[in-house]
Amino acid sequence: MLGRIEGRYDVVVVGGGPAGLGAALGARDSGAERILVVDREPETGGILLQCIHSGFGLHHFKEELTGPEYAERFLERVVDHDIDVISGSYVSSVGIDSDGDKHVRILREGRGISTVESKSVVLAMGCRERTRGAVRIPGTRPSGVLTAGLAQKLVNMMGMLPGKRIAILGSGDIGLIMARRLTLEGCEVVGVFELMPYSNGLTRNVVQCLEDFGIPLHLSTTVAQIHGRDRLEKITVAPVGPGFVPDLSRAWEVECDTLLLSIGLVPENELSQSLGVELDVITRGPRVSSSMETSLPGIFACGNVLHVHDLVDFVTEEALKAGRFAGEYAQGIRRPKDNITLVPGNNVRYCVPHTLAPGREHTIYMRAKEPMKPCLIKVGDLMQRKLGFVVPAEMIMFKIKPDVLDRFHGDTLRIDILPYEKEGGR
Amino acid sequence: MSQVEKFVCIGCPIGCPLQLTHEGQEIVEIEGASCNRGAKYARQEFTDPRRGMSTTVWIDGARWKRLPVKVSAPIPKDRVLEAAGEIHKLRVEAPVKRGDVLLRDFLGEPGVEVIACRTMARE
Amino acid sequence: MPDNYDVAIIGGGVIGCSIARELSRFRLKTVLLEKNAEVGFGTSKTNSGIIHSGHDTPLSTLKGRLVVRGNALFDGLHEELGFGFRRIGELNVAQTEEELEGLKALKALGDEKGVPGIELWDQERLRREEPNLSRALLGALYCPSAGVINPYEFAFALIENAVANGVELRVDSPVLGLEPNAEGLAVRTPGGTLQARFVLNCAGVAADEVAAMVGCADFKILPRKGEEYMLDKRLKGLVRRLVFPLPTKTTKGILIIPTFDGTIMVGPTAQTIEDRGDFATTAQGADEVFGYIKRLCPAIDARDAITAFAGLRAVSDTNDFVIGPTKVKGFVNVAGTQSPGLTSSPAIAEHVLEILSLQGLELSRKARFNSRVAPPPRFAQLGHAEQDELANKDPLFAKVVCRCELVTEAEIHDAVDHGARTLDGIKFRSRAGMGRCQGGFCSSRCMEILSKRLAKPIYDITKRGGGSYIAVPIDLEAARGEPPLHPDARPRINAEEK
Repeated sequence: MLGRIEGRYDVVVVGGGPAGLGAALGARDSGAERILVVDREPETGGILLQCIHSGFGLHHFKEELTGPEYAERFLERVVDHDIDVISGSYVSSVGIDSDGDKHVRILREGRGISTVESKSVVLAMGCRERTRGAVRIPGTRPSGVLTAGLAQKLVNMMGMLPGKRIAILGSGDIGLIMARRLTLEGCEVVGVFELMPYSNGLTRNVVQCLEDFGIPLHLSTTVAQIHGRDRLEKITVAPVGPGFVPDLSRAWEVECDTLLLSIGLVPENELSQSLGVELDVITRGPRVSSSMETSLPGIFACGNVLHVHDLVDFVTEEALKAGRFAGEYAQGIRRPKDNITLVPGNNVRYCVPHTLAPGREHTIYMRAKEPMKPCLIKVGDLMQRKLGFVVPAEMIMFKIKPDVLDRFHGDTLRIDILPYEKEGGR
Repeated sequence: MSQVEKFVCIGCPIGCPLQLTHEGQEIVEIEGASCNRGAKYARQEFTDPRRGMSTTVWIDGARWKRLPVKVSAPIPKDRVLEAAGEIHKLRVEAPVKRGDVLLRDFLGEPGVEVIACRTMARE
Repeated sequence: MPDNYDVAIIGGGVIGCSIARELSRFRLKTVLLEKNAEVGFGTSKTNSGIIHSGHDTPLSTLKGRLVVRGNALFDGLHEELGFGFRRIGELNVAQTEEELEGLKALKALGDEKGVPGIELWDQERLRREEPNLSRALLGALYCPSAGVINPYEFAFALIENAVANGVELRVDSPVLGLEPNAEGLAVRTPGGTLQARFVLNCAGVAADEVAAMVGCADFKILPRKGEEYMLDKRLKGLVRRLVFPLPTKTTKGILIIPTFDGTIMVGPTAQTIEDRGDFATTAQGADEVFGYIKRLCPAIDARDAITAFAGLRAVSDTNDFVIGPTKVKGFVNVAGTQSPGLTSSPAIAEHVLEILSLQGLELSRKARFNSRVAPPPRFAQLGHAEQDELANKDPLFAKVVCRCELVTEAEIHDAVDHGARTLDGIKFRSRAGMGRCQGGFCSSRCMEILSKRLAKPIYDITKRGGGSYIAVPIDLEAARGEPPLHPDARPRINAEEK
């Protein structure tokens, strides 16, 4: 697409998935002039390109799109806005000089290594899947044990099946979607096994991806052993007792040649760490201010690198915002430092951003630790909102109006999710 | 003689257990929903359950081996596997543009098309 | 007419490969038969990767006599073959007053064997040198000559150098039968029968089965399984030296191993097993390893494990190496080479050549022997200027394939150039797929490259040979290139062009 990329940019965005593309558009929106998106994959669009199911874009495009459609339409907007996009390109490091300028070193397929200067940088590298090692399943190490996302790429892009008789560990949405995908491609999906007593995916996916095809979902059950020398031959599955310990006295064996792992996603922050960006131990992403700025001035973050999302539309919204602030920063606009720290309270796993400033509207993204219904979200004594339910699988998003914070004079603001009894019962 | 069908509502993550009582084709009562989406969903599932569908087809001459495609409107739920089988018989050649129509009046359903979900250049 | 060889080596682990390389210095026709898809894929790959100082093995045993010599040979080998190797030193730590006494006895044995530089450290010294070890440890014996190695790289480099000097390598070649005859032995493999004057039994865990093929059933291999757990990179540098408890008669115990690449590994367990195909890690093994290791280093937690594997030690029932000629003329055992087999391997190779010479094999040196293998490029370890220079020479150095370990496409091609035939072959040569995502992102690209370079359908690419296929075709007709065309298909369907 582009020849030389040497030179100076206002904003360099690391990552060409929905977060990166959104940030680039946001930066343009703020008035920043030279914007570069650096994407490591051969094609821009990120993981959306392999998510061929629909369910994307209801918020942003007001219609239900498949992943590739969402990516392509978004990319068209980016290119229309005269934003430089390079694919097959990998940011190996970002240096910050004494003037605060960022030096972004880019390895570019077929074109060698170059360094560009930028006033601000948006981190949008996305996340990766947790692997077998993360859950330490005992047994042998045959082929046929792979993450659901890799299976998705094999099937949807490379035209291969990971196997013919499939078991799935974890009921995250990717696992559920792959259960249906592989069924449609003629595989036999023998069951989905979920450690928790509830599904980690959306109800819609449990119904349309499993129940429609008669695929059993075993809750509070895990894979206790993997068998097979060269290729997976079978797995031992067992219900879990207290502390999620498999109860081997009630275990049974399932013959299969493939085990897909859909056991969670982890933000990919190697670059952020090499830069010295401060991370949140819970989200495993950067700590960010209300302008999506990390602990390093002029370095912003958004999307799954910040915290793992379940809806791409939320990624887009967050990214547009991060891009706007990164663009402002590049134009020399400095916002006063945030002076309110958000503290996750009862049944709150985390909230993003980590700090707020009065005088602006804020969007808060957060996750519950466990299901609760009905319930009440309480933001200090400032505001509260009733919700029919919360579940860990579904991110909670709400807005805090500017005038709400005007009434607040402390420095820490606690957010709680509390049980709430409807008046007069049901 | 009334009969009962059970559904799990997909409107939101609560997943209300719905009970639809019917006599023949006539719906007598829908119970279990905590909002009005539940009844609507149960009625649709009982009278004419439909599903959207997406899959991939073989493509020649492109960077990837498969082209993602979808049906332009929901099709009857009990024909989803049949639909996949039909679509998988397709083989297309790059270049393809997003929105290209590969099949019309698919499965004999008027107006239902199978369309390409992305652009793929010839390589 | 079968192919004729002077020497046939059965088994391409570090022992067989070391001998192959030594033999390649001489005017001999040598073949190495490996049952797996690549060399080093058995015990060598799942080894702890320690080059022991050898201070603790008594001189009354053959292994006790070979280990110190083996250790000393590694500097030269490392220089010539470029595999990952570093002398980081080892510590035997004492947990009780009684063990403190034991350390003194161990030092006396090491001094007697001529192990260089051994020191006794008191508690204060130990705490200063390794501040993250348990405060409860009372002292340690320090042996600076111990090191860590990437054992698979060692096997790869040895065989590559041997092949460059004329040794023939046959992979996927399990030995099915051995027939002594007037000229030596006939060796039957799936690819045909070959004839050799000498057959070296370096078959590791299967060595007793190979020996039984010629009626030499005078030793048994009692495989002893060891489970190892690799920890997340964030613990790099936690411990700088190899940490051993005081050894017992049967095992060196559960260790902390800062691997060559810096990642910390803990293990191995030691469990004698019946089933020679048992490579399973177990919940009990993990509990044993992490339960014990807390006593040495409280900061190590089971949650830090990113991957686990198990390997089998080829333990003989004599509890020593079984190396020497047999009642069958030409058939030589090189068996029972459990720990310190890897450390001893260069000395074992020398020893085996002496045996062959005594048995009548004429060893006449080649005029030309190239002792060197170019080490693989390691882009991630270079400075920016060197990286720029590489990328200017070959643009594939600017194409990142494995983002966790920063491995470029040029390095994947280099791995294939140097013998990688499987995903594991690529992984253990280039590190692609060895990092945190464990191949989630890069294995599809590595499969494409292997498929193209080996001119094989992508479905025939395996994890480690045999039946370890990765994927199957989505539909068979399409895979054969003759999918049916849909009669109703309209735009851009190739039916239109006919």
